[in-house]
Parts: sequence; C-alpha cells; structure tokens
Amino acid sequence: MYFLVALLGALTFLALWLFGKKKELHFEYGAIIFGAAAAMWFIDCVASAIGGEPFLSFEIPTDLWISLWTLVGGLFFYGAILLGKYLIEKKQAK
Amino acid sequence: MACFTVTTVAAIGVGVARHIVRHNEKKVDPTKVDPIKLDTLPVSKKLGMLELGLWGGSFILAGEHVIHGEVTFTFPWLTAVSEGPDAVKEMLFEMGTVGVGMLAIIVGIWGIGLLVRKLLLKRKAKLAKE
Repeated sequence: MYFLVALLGALTFLALWLFGKKKELHFEYGAIIFGAAAAMWFIDCVASAIGGEPFLSFEIPTDLWISLWTLVGGLFFYGAILLGKYLIEKKQAK
Repeated sequence: MACFTVTTVAAIGVGVARHIVRHNEKKVDPTKVDPIKLDTLPVSKKLGMLELGLWGGSFILAGEHVIHGEVTFTFPWLTAVSEGPDAVKEMLFEMGTVGVGMLAIIVGIWGIGLLVRKLLLKRKAKLAKE
C-alpha cells in the first residue's frame, strides 16, 4: 500500500516538475525522494512475492500509518532540503 | 529487517565522494574548460542527485522499519540483534539481497537518467547544427 503512496507522490512531483511554473520550488527533489522510496519498496514487494507473500499488502492499520509517514516524512525531507538550499543561497548572496 | 542500512551507508559514501569531487572542481581553471562540451552539469551535482535519492529513500524506509518495530530508539537499535544469532543471520541475508537490490535499482535509475540526459543534449545539439 505504501509503495503505491510513494509512487503516487513521485508521479505528482514529476508532473509538477515537468508542467509546473514555479521552478524555484525544485519539484525534481520531491520526485527523486518519493521515486527512490517507491523504487526501494518495489524491490521489497518483489522479494515478498518471491517469498510467497502477496506483492502488495493492505494490512490495516499498520499500512495506513506507514502510508501517512511516507507522505509526512517525504514532504518533511523535501522541505528540509529546500530550506537548506535557501539558506545556502542567502548566505552566498551576502 | 534492516535493508535500508545498505542504502544509508551508500549515501554516506556518495556524500564523501561528492565532497571530494566538488573540492577538486573548484581547483579547475574555468578558462580551460572545453566550451564545446555538451554536458555542463558538474559531476558533483550529478552525484548530489544520487545522494538525494539514497538519503530520501533511506529516510522514508527507516520510518517504515520503526513502525514495523524492526528498528528501536534504544541500543542495539535493531530488533533482530537482540533476538539472537538466527535473526541476525536472517537480517544479514536480507541486507545482502533486498538491500543490495534496492541500492542497485537506485543507482540504475540514476544511470539511466544521466544517459537519457546525455542523449537529449546530443539530439538538441544535432538539431541546432541542422
């Protein structure tokens, strides 16, 4: 389930990066963060399927919490990177 | 169990490499850089993208492991370590298979991304010549 959430996040950021106008928000960073998580979970899903478990799991409520964490954690990481970049640019401008 | 540690260690390694490359790039005389060179994006920036992917993925997966109870905030941090040698063996096997697989897919996607970028730049230059 959280694999799908990460994939959705990556696709949303990818669309914003390609078609969005606010380039200063560096949507590509969000696409990379969520895309990397989705890719890593894809390997996890494949490993689960090889081990005889279902490819996608929908364990409620654990998966809901992880899905929520995926969104919050990914956006937090993206925000932290943007803030760091902004502070560096501000320092360099001085 | 602890598959994300493989990508975390790789992220640290890439971070160190990026730092060294960036340091060396500063030493290069900008007047000696080939002006016809198609790809002007510095190697440190390319490594930065890989590092971001590795850190971002590891960060999100670390949270998942905490929710699953596989990682704790107290020593020895990994639940498998406190469960005994069999669990440790299983954890190491998972790190060697799933963890390395995760690292391979991230590096692979990064490599494909760079290749696509190079091809697009070549195509752009070819169209500009015509």
